[in-house]
Amino acid sequence: MSLLLFDTLLCGLLLALALASMLSRQLSHAVILYIAFGLLMALAWARLAAPDLALAEAAIGAGLTGALCFTALARQGKLPLSPQVSWQQRGWPVLFVLLMLSGLLLALLQLPASPGPLPALVLQELADSGVSHPVTAVLLNFRSWDTVLELLVLLLALLGTLQVAPVPVRQNSWALGRSWSQLLAPPIILLAGYILWAGASQPGGAFQAGALLAAGAVVLKLNRQLNWLAWRNIWVRFFAVAGLGVFVIVALAAWLLPGLAAEPIWLRWPPEHAKYIILLIEVFATLAIAITLTLLVVAEQPATPISLERPDTAGGSDD
Amino acid sequence: MIIMLLVLPLLSALLMLLWPRVAPLLALFSASSSSLLALQLLVQVTEHGSRSWLLAGWPSGLAIAWQADTLSCLLILLTTVLQLLVGFYAFATRNRDKLSQGFWPLSSLLQVSLTALWLSRDLFNLYVCLELLGLVAVALVSLSGRSAMKPALNYLLLSLFGSLCYLLGVVLLYGRYGLLDIAGLASQWQADWLSNSALLLMSLGLMLKAALWPLHAWLPAAHAAAPAPVSALLSALVVKGPLFILSLLWLQLASVQQAQAIAPLFAAAGLAALLFGGWSALRTPFAKNLVAYSTVAQLGYVTLALGLMLKFDQPLIFAALWLFVLAHALAKAACFLAVGEMSATLGGKRLTTLKGASQTMPLAMFAFAVAGGSLIGLPPSGGFVAKWALLQGLWLQGELLFWPLALVLATLLSAAYVFRVVVVAFDRADPVSPDFSPQLIPQWLALLPALAVWAMALFSETLMQLLRLEAL
Amino acid sequence: MTELSGSLLLFLITAASLVAAGVYGFIIGPEPLRRILALNIISAGIFMLMVVLAYRGYDGEATADPVLQALVLTGLVVAVSATAFGLTLLARLKPSSSEISAPEEPEQ
Repeated sequence: MSLLLFDTLLCGLLLALALASMLSRQLSHAVILYIAFGLLMALAWARLAAPDLALAEAAIGAGLTGALCFTALARQGKLPLSPQVSWQQRGWPVLFVLLMLSGLLLALLQLPASPGPLPALVLQELADSGVSHPVTAVLLNFRSWDTVLELLVLLLALLGTLQVAPVPVRQNSWALGRSWSQLLAPPIILLAGYILWAGASQPGGAFQAGALLAAGAVVLKLNRQLNWLAWRNIWVRFFAVAGLGVFVIVALAAWLLPGLAAEPIWLRWPPEHAKYIILLIEVFATLAIAITLTLLVVAEQPATPISLERPDTAGGSDD
Repeated sequence: MIIMLLVLPLLSALLMLLWPRVAPLLALFSASSSSLLALQLLVQVTEHGSRSWLLAGWPSGLAIAWQADTLSCLLILLTTVLQLLVGFYAFATRNRDKLSQGFWPLSSLLQVSLTALWLSRDLFNLYVCLELLGLVAVALVSLSGRSAMKPALNYLLLSLFGSLCYLLGVVLLYGRYGLLDIAGLASQWQADWLSNSALLLMSLGLMLKAALWPLHAWLPAAHAAAPAPVSALLSALVVKGPLFILSLLWLQLASVQQAQAIAPLFAAAGLAALLFGGWSALRTPFAKNLVAYSTVAQLGYVTLALGLMLKFDQPLIFAALWLFVLAHALAKAACFLAVGEMSATLGGKRLTTLKGASQTMPLAMFAFAVAGGSLIGLPPSGGFVAKWALLQGLWLQGELLFWPLALVLATLLSAAYVFRVVVVAFDRADPVSPDFSPQLIPQWLALLPALAVWAMALFSETLMQLLRLEAL
Repeated sequence: MTELSGSLLLFLITAASLVAAGVYGFIIGPEPLRRILALNIISAGIFMLMVVLAYRGYDGEATADPVLQALVLTGLVVAVSATAFGLTLLARLKPSSSEISAPEEPEQ
């Protein structure tokens, strides 16, 4: 009973925050409400037996998206209140949305209470996948093509962002913030490494670890640290691309090596090596995700409007 | 081999990011070798029948399914060939148009995402492909600099909204059937409220992304804002991706009753697109917007063919649907390249700057006119072949009055907007003088796809055979 | 009719309502930033629906549906990528007054 009470409270709060974020007339309030919404969402997912997602949502959904929105707000400067929308103007959208909602609810009521055939199939094949955590197995073995494309989406967002990156807002870092953020760095790296390693057998994995690393790096970047972490640095570019590159090259090797006798299968890992292949892919994916997410949030201003036009003069001069 | 079609452009895009200087050469190399591979794949599939794969070697349901049938192979070939052509155009005009280096990796990634989309038969994988396609397209539009930011943002938001609608439909279906691959779903399909609403949601999202009437409003601004080679790719290829998924859903998943119920809606939307798109193309003062509105109108033929196909289930109409897609892709690439070339040389975006273009830039104008002939459907162009197949299909079904008349009306409208450009171009009294001497190679490159679309007529028998096989 | 238990039904209805709230925000707008937030709320609703569906048949011992959870993870990354790109475009759209305007490409 107390669980039902908790659920009701959680759902009510989620809905209230979402609605308030959509209806508030001040954009900065909307952003803050959205971040609170994201944090509560992470709680809801932990409640629904999805700890992987709770980790990812807390880092990506609430943390990075929040940082992104705040950066956007800072760039926009002072904003006027949104104009008051009259009830006549609201009428049709409200009607439409309510109709859609009732249609959707009717459809949801037809859902069966038992899961489909796939979870059982996953458990049955898990032994050959090279990892013992089912979610990681799905991501990096059963449906790894999705993951390749997803890494591509991430890279593409970065390319697009660099293409149009605006002039950064100058802000002074705060001495206390600087020293605190330096203290923060080592534990974050350790924790990310642990989450990555744990992903093989329990909740965790490349995305969560990458997002965590990125969150740490964003804090450091905002405090004027990590100046080498920029797209013009060829090593940064290399590692941002390597997540995808290693994935594809390993897949290509696994495809070509068995020889021409057997019909080769794209993205099939030999079961005896699967564990190491997946670990290798995950390490590079984590680095790539961390770098990409960091650069996405702290989009740098390239010297020319289009960053890729610059010949890389100072390749690898980081220290 | 099929793997190389994906891996080659992907790896070359990654290399381009590391060494931007070699980007154009790498892009041209990967596009040309993929064109050869795609041709080989098409030949193989026509000889040995369609092939399907379960990725990563897991049992059906767990693995992502791929299928290469003749239609997919044709579309892959179209994608690679157009990539190659547009790549050459961008290379030839790189000094004049100051197209940023960002174009090259993005165009290779566009090829990857389209190829992945044509092959995939898994609903969620198709969602990721859709998102990928949308992001590439927006990034390409934003290459134009600050003036393109507003249409690009608008495009991005609507495209994301469309993908989310699609995703919601996928989730409903997964919740009901516990499956994602299309063949598996089709075998268990039941026509009930849940599958109705899932199909509707997915169709709505896809129609928004494919700019089918009445959800087309974002397209003219976005396509007209992009640089010429990008507009060519967007109009010729990108909008066809969601269309492909739409046809997969309705032709392979939906039950007969559902298809029958939706058919008149699609047909009506197609007709409306033909009329409104044509009318807007007649009225817009800008050259590129005219071509973009013509895309809206031409997509109307495709929607109309889809609706009629669902209604009559006639293989000829199915062939007509994809012939329209092929013919439009080639013709529209030619149109955008020609118009882009003319506006760049004559220095202006308005239609009136093309005044006297038949004298100053005869080759580009010829390319536009030839491609326009196919858009109108003059025999024996690709557009004509498609229209003829549609009419033949209608004839076999005994539909003699309404739809043929509607087609005639649409043809007249498209003739009107094509001639609107031609008339301006032949107004030789006081031609707009070019800003610099016209370049020949880009004009020839614009002419190539226009000639190809007329050459389609030579292969019409083969194409019809191939496509009719798929419909069964 | 469904035989989903009370809590699950509650979460399902919340997920659907979140989608609806997001759609409403997307339609009304009017600022692009609000539309981006609205898209994020819609996707949060859809992901919540997926997580609830994954929870069906969960008995505390076996895991909830790992396929759906993996799909959500993929979807999350896609959503944050798109959001980041959208926000950058937005920032370029409305440059703040202090900004030095970057050199422009010549208009065609």
